[in-house]
Amino acid sequence: MSDPYRAHITRREAVLRLSSTALAAAAVGGGAIAFHDRRTVSAAAAPIPDWRVAPAEGSPAAAAARGPDPAGNVRRALAALGGMERYVRRGEVVLIKPNIGWDRLPEQAANTDPQVVAELVRLCIAAGARNVVVTDISCNDPRRCFARSGIAAAASAAGAEVVASASLHLVPASLAGLSAGLEVAQELLRADRVINVPVVKHHSLSKVTLGMKNWLGVQGKGRNRLHQDINRALAELCATFRPTLTVVDATRVLVANGPVGGSLSDVRQVGAVAVGTDPVLCDAWGAALLGHVPANLPFIAEAERGGLGRADLALVRELGDA
Amino acid sequence: MRWTIRIRVVYQGFFLILFLWLLGRLAAGDPRAFPFSAFQHGDPLSAIAVVLASGTLPGALIWALVLIALTLVFGRVFCGWICPLGTLQQLSSWLFSPRSRRESLQVNRYRRWYALKSYILAALLVGALAGTVQTGLLDPLSLTARGLASGVWPVLPGGRPVPGGWLAAVLLLAVVVASRWIPRLFCRGLCPLGALLGVFSRFAVFRIHRASDACNSCKLCAFACQGADEPLGNHRVSECHVCLNCLPGCPEDAMSYGALPPLPAPPARPDLSRRYLFGSMLGAFAVAPLLRATGGGREAAKPFLLRPPGALAEPEFLQRCVKCSLCQQACPTGALQPAIAQAGVEGFWTPVLVPRRGWCEFACVRCGEVCPTAAITRLLPARKTGYDGRTPVSIGTAFVDRGRCLPWAMNTPCIVCEEMCPTDPKAIWFEVADEPGRDGARRRLQRPRVDAAKCVGCGICENKCPVGEEAAIRITSVGETRDPLNRLLAGGSAP
Repeated sequence: MSDPYRAHITRREAVLRLSSTALAAAAVGGGAIAFHDRRTVSAAAAPIPDWRVAPAEGSPAAAAARGPDPAGNVRRALAALGGMERYVRRGEVVLIKPNIGWDRLPEQAANTDPQVVAELVRLCIAAGARNVVVTDISCNDPRRCFARSGIAAAASAAGAEVVASASLHLVPASLAGLSAGLEVAQELLRADRVINVPVVKHHSLSKVTLGMKNWLGVQGKGRNRLHQDINRALAELCATFRPTLTVVDATRVLVANGPVGGSLSDVRQVGAVAVGTDPVLCDAWGAALLGHVPANLPFIAEAERGGLGRADLALVRELGDA
Repeated sequence: MRWTIRIRVVYQGFFLILFLWLLGRLAAGDPRAFPFSAFQHGDPLSAIAVVLASGTLPGALIWALVLIALTLVFGRVFCGWICPLGTLQQLSSWLFSPRSRRESLQVNRYRRWYALKSYILAALLVGALAGTVQTGLLDPLSLTARGLASGVWPVLPGGRPVPGGWLAAVLLLAVVVASRWIPRLFCRGLCPLGALLGVFSRFAVFRIHRASDACNSCKLCAFACQGADEPLGNHRVSECHVCLNCLPGCPEDAMSYGALPPLPAPPARPDLSRRYLFGSMLGAFAVAPLLRATGGGREAAKPFLLRPPGALAEPEFLQRCVKCSLCQQACPTGALQPAIAQAGVEGFWTPVLVPRRGWCEFACVRCGEVCPTAAITRLLPARKTGYDGRTPVSIGTAFVDRGRCLPWAMNTPCIVCEEMCPTDPKAIWFEVADEPGRDGARRRLQRPRVDAAKCVGCGICENKCPVGEEAAIRITSVGETRDPLNRLLAGGSAP
């Protein structure tokens, strides 16, 4: 057997071996310093932007149009506020948040009317929007909600990017009050402009569900806790999420068994759409359609007290029938 | 026995006794600030796995650099001189196995399957990179401490039961007993920490050297070789434990241990098959997501998965916990137990609080103080209790089972849960009712209700509830501070 060992080591070999040891030490030490963290873990909460745009001089805080064509109603009401060009600039990303909460057909009036959503998408694109995102976090199976509400098909046909609930990225957000600790869709936080498009419906707890209540749909798991003090929660949501526009869809109004409905006998054909920059006024207008005195609804009164808007129906410019 | 070996034995004894003594002081609740997690802080396997899984090297784990530096200079001295599990195995093989010289040579020969530990290491590190830290299953420090905390301390006088701890104890026992047949079987074939140190020891400055002209190939150097690293032939430096048994073993004084000896040519390479290495890494890469999907992380958070106070949110917790059992050993009430099924497959042997075994003492923060990887963050008592003016740290919420509760179900007075409740004001309050008993006589009853906003889930109510086996008030994890999504009440301030 030949002996593998030599008797001596050269100076050159000693230097090489010591350097390789030193190199290994430096690599490990450098890595440790690079990764060393004395702090504990904490997720940074994302701030919620303000999407509002100053309204045109002399334009009303909200305008309502009536007529058999929902798209026409949207155009006319928006024109009274100065047109979509006033609110959406070239190259901006717009997120449209309809109510796509339920596995219901448009006739059942549990979701926003697809024609209203599609018309908003077209107007945003015509105003030069780089991308229009339509999304919601549904209560029923989102795939069925997006399909059966007719919104996914109508919005994509109009040129929108329809983002399924499951594809949204939920991130911790700096939410105050009752919403503290909830996650919010990152797509919303990244949008330049946001249009809130609720549908007018009866609700067993807050009496009516409108724009403020629609914000539950951008929040993740745990949002059901907000029902523990719904009026305070809605006013807080109104203060947290400041949309560019609120578009209240009253094409069909669900007057009982809300917010899910189902029976066509609970649906009333109203054929109206209101567009506004004042979210409180928009909700007040919708509440009046259901026969409520807006100031008597605690969440509207609380939002008004908080200076988030006015609930005075005289401020709505009624454009009448087409 | 030459002086080098005497020194080694003294070191081994010192470190074994230190390891046991620290565990003992921890279990005894010694209030002095001993470095209880010193061994675990210096563990490079934990450090590297946590870095790979979480992207950060938390706090004191940077001490692992000391052990790496030691290995770069002296080789795997940790295995031969420090590791308590190595010492226990060596002790067992020395005590129980008188062998003839022929047998000794036979059992201390290198075998190809000893490369298994390297495949295990590769699989564990790839698993960590994929997000699941499982090094604690086989890390010798975790394995030893866990076996002792689950199998030895419970049977000592004053010990507290650890149901479900038997498996950890049996594993430790099996490792120690296996050494009777093959010395240091675990070190040679299975230990991922040894394999990791073997990577660094390839750069070692100090090495074993055999002077060729003096050697007459009598093989006596291999007679007591702990690492089975073949000092006689082409010495395998990454297997060598630096036990130095080969030095006095040589009748010709041909063996030496010193700085920068000439290397054999060609140098010994680790006996690894690239095919197997790739296979074990691929396997781990496939299995890690499977572990998560089938019972790990936030999705697997079971209602009775109560984590120690200060524990990180479940995904981050599982990226750091090395299952070392120090928190279990430190818990003064015996509430922390090794999880068997509560935390899913991935969380096997991670700490879980079982209120019927013990409760979380209101102002106690010991588990976070000893956690070597900051999976349980260090809390100040004022922070945990909320005495600093902020919301106290909660690990869950108590729920009254009105079908079992004495005042609710049996019209029998009892106030134990409220009496024990440590929060200020108490999370448990009474609804007073005058209820007729069976004899028609009215009796004033105080029926407990829980104020979920005040409850911190400490579990002392469940622990002290006089209703046997299943208590009439029980804790589930909802409302725990560490997970903002596992909440019961709306709002409240973030901690």
